[in-house]
Amino acid sequence: MNLPRREFLKTSALAAATAFVAQRVGVSAALSPTASESDGIQWDKAPCRFCGTGCHVRVGVRDGKVVAIQGEQLAEVNKGLLCVKGYHVGLALYGKDRLTTPLLRKNGKLEPISWDEAIEVIADRIMAAPDKFAFYGSGQWTIPEGYAANKFMKAGLSNNHIDPNARLCMSSAVTGYLSVYGVDEPAGCYDDFDKCDVLILWGNNMAEMHPVLFSRFIDRRMRGEKVMLIDLTTRRTRTSDFADEVLLFKPHSDLAIANGIAHLLLKNGTYDKAFVEKHCNFRKDTSEPSLNGQAMSFEEYRAAMEHYTPEEVERISGVPAAKIRLLGELFGRRDLRITSTWCMGFNQHSRGTNINRLCHGIHLLSGHIGRPGDAPTSLTGQPSACGTAREVGTLCHFLPGGRLVAKAEDRADAEKLWNVPAGRINPKIGYHTVLLWEKFCTPSDKGGDIQTVWVQVTNPGQSLPNLHKLFRGKKNLADKFLIVSDVYPTATTELADLVLPSALWVEKNGMFGNSERRTQQWFKMVEPPGQARDDAWQTIAVARKLFERGHPGMKDKDGRFLFAVSDPSGKEVPVWDWEHYYNVNVDKILFEEYRTFTRYKHKDLAPYDEYVKARGLRWPVVQQADGSWRETKFRFSGFDDPYVRKGAEFQFYHSVTKDDRALIWFAPYEKATEEPDEEYPFWLCTGRVLEHWHTGTLTMRIPQLSGSVPHAYVEIHPEDAAERGIRSGDSVIVKTRRGELKLPAWINGRAKVPRGSLFIPFFDERLLVNEITLGDPDPISKEPDYKKCAATIRKAAPSEHGSVSRSEINSANG
Amino acid sequence: MSRAISRRDLFERFIGRLRISTQSEAKLSKTNESVSAAKPHRFAGNVSKGEPRVAVIQGRFCIALTSFCTVCVERCPVPGAMVKRQNLPQVVADCCTGCGICQEVCPAPRNAVLMIPSKKRLRSVEQDV
Repeated sequence: MNLPRREFLKTSALAAATAFVAQRVGVSAALSPTASESDGIQWDKAPCRFCGTGCHVRVGVRDGKVVAIQGEQLAEVNKGLLCVKGYHVGLALYGKDRLTTPLLRKNGKLEPISWDEAIEVIADRIMAAPDKFAFYGSGQWTIPEGYAANKFMKAGLSNNHIDPNARLCMSSAVTGYLSVYGVDEPAGCYDDFDKCDVLILWGNNMAEMHPVLFSRFIDRRMRGEKVMLIDLTTRRTRTSDFADEVLLFKPHSDLAIANGIAHLLLKNGTYDKAFVEKHCNFRKDTSEPSLNGQAMSFEEYRAAMEHYTPEEVERISGVPAAKIRLLGELFGRRDLRITSTWCMGFNQHSRGTNINRLCHGIHLLSGHIGRPGDAPTSLTGQPSACGTAREVGTLCHFLPGGRLVAKAEDRADAEKLWNVPAGRINPKIGYHTVLLWEKFCTPSDKGGDIQTVWVQVTNPGQSLPNLHKLFRGKKNLADKFLIVSDVYPTATTELADLVLPSALWVEKNGMFGNSERRTQQWFKMVEPPGQARDDAWQTIAVARKLFERGHPGMKDKDGRFLFAVSDPSGKEVPVWDWEHYYNVNVDKILFEEYRTFTRYKHKDLAPYDEYVKARGLRWPVVQQADGSWRETKFRFSGFDDPYVRKGAEFQFYHSVTKDDRALIWFAPYEKATEEPDEEYPFWLCTGRVLEHWHTGTLTMRIPQLSGSVPHAYVEIHPEDAAERGIRSGDSVIVKTRRGELKLPAWINGRAKVPRGSLFIPFFDERLLVNEITLGDPDPISKEPDYKKCAATIRKAAPSEHGSVSRSEINSANG
Repeated sequence: MSRAISRRDLFERFIGRLRISTQSEAKLSKTNESVSAAKPHRFAGNVSKGEPRVAVIQGRFCIALTSFCTVCVERCPVPGAMVKRQNLPQVVADCCTGCGICQEVCPAPRNAVLMIPSKKRLRSVEQDV
């Protein structure tokens, strides 16, 4: 075919148009939710396995295998759209090195054992020292999995040493919501992106981390709507390409910027006086940081904000005073709807709770809250960080449904719902993530009182900060024992003593809860490979083994097994025996039990069967007079939230001050823990990329994704690079006080860091940036800061191996 | 591509093709490789081996508008051969050497890069030289 180029293009355009018409005809067929189709593919719905957006996919199964993935058009979250990870989510199941049999370390080598032996080994460890056992879980636990683990620990072992990886990811958002509204999770929802006039991204690279949500907003601009995007960031990202204003600020100075906005609202008198007088109180920290701080008057608040003039904020942050004034003006306008979002930039922050508080504060002060499009909303990175970690309360200080371990009446309530004897729940809160791993990596005779850790659905060997201290320390401690349930070998299984093969995603029943309070459900569609089994089953099987060995905690008040399950005829089903696990829907039984916990904080969930029908429902889901179940989009707003007092426009009904008011906090700008100096002159930031999800365990096994971004790299400014003789693709050594890492440089690539800054993604298990991060935790949320530490960089000598000698890195970037 | 088309419209066009595309994915899963040996899929296109060729982005398969992907632009080894215009990747045909890296790295469910013959263009370049 020798068509001239112009002709060729014309022909292909025509072909495209024809294809477009042809596929429109088939649209109605695609809309039918669970139709089975003639080509032998069975379709069913599931939320995507990856991030916290909570897109729904349609999963096509043929011959017992997932063979196709589509965006679910019936889903409100994504309306059929997926991101590049979502399109390939099915392949996550089929990496060729799936774990398929339990493995026990014998003489330094992992060797296959039977499930029965594996369960015995765990039971032995727990029986020997039940109080020195810890469970480390995940925001990727399904809701029933997290609920089972939480009950096993707190109601069974009377042990609160259970914490999820979500501690590393959103616990500052939790403490932010709790200290402002008295109850966790956003008031708004994704509908705000469809209604706002201004979207402000606070250190939030939405185009890469939540692409489907970002497209939902950008789509409005493409349709001709006038919307404004403001990107507050420490480096130019793909998101910045779409922004009307890109405000580059110095790391940690977001505290000053937020205060600068409050300063202008007060100074110009443009704050929402009526709203503040009716719905807000003022608050500041006590001398020791605490969740609820102490009261302050409006006058004191005003005086505290006096310092943060636009010029002072410019001096601290590097953002021009004129741009601070622009932000102040926008918030001062009543005719605009403003939505703020944030993610790890705020949360992985050594003053994470404070920056969360300040952002809520400027929305409250300006009254930009509670109407569609007016919302401060945190986004989560894991599919069920909200649903499982936050709502089920798999943190060391929480009980299900927003109850607290430290509160006697909450414990009594949970004991009643669990039907266990009074006093069963330990009143002392457990170890949070960083402390848990510190104790595990400290010798037993030196106060390291965690001896066994069971890890499910997460990869702390890669995701913890300062890995040498918090993870590798285990290596030489013979009496410490690490159990890991996972689907692939990881940086964590490298040090594991017992590895358990788990079922993944649609190989089991499951439920997730996304960033907008939406609870979602799916059914098992394919069998897990080999002997891989559900995580919830693993927990129940161990509980049963302890029950049989006479552990008193595994019985309820009536002497029944903690996870006793009956079929509809009332006959007990031995679900601890894998052969019988799917005789009943254990997920449904656990969820219905958990549901009784959720009304206490008005986080009401609907019955399981409602979620089977829906593409997720946003809580509180409240039954209507006609028997139907209604979700809530806008919490605390009279027009939508059934728990707001009749006639009230807003009611913060879980108010810390018990007067239906939210708290506006003052918090000062403070310096970061480790700032650049002469020896280590660079800021080092870590984060994610579009193609890879967290530690890359799944996405690095999907050829399309690992092919796109095959390895980690360091971003550096061209002038900083030139001064050091570094060209794009060169091997460099990045060094911090914790160690050094050799990896290729990428200059003017996808994102552009300012002078004096470096960025390294953390997905690559061969290039573990967390070997050199600091991870200083927020004093209230205990969430480590992965975004800031001091580093230095130099070109690597050709013979130099650095810490990456174990991997072959081809410098494909350039 | 006309600017009047919104992302959502584009996406709606896109969705109907996913069935086909994900089935190619299904075939892939049988030969899926693990981390160490991950090889992106490669569509032969309509170019025989050794023939001079040039890359063309098929807009209807490209996910730059829905997933903010620009991997092809980032990985193109020839300065100026691929550019981002209004956040869409575009091949500058006069600079493209036809190496096919963009096609190799394209992560779209249906590969969006087509390699087409470029005999005519190459001749004209030679004459210029």
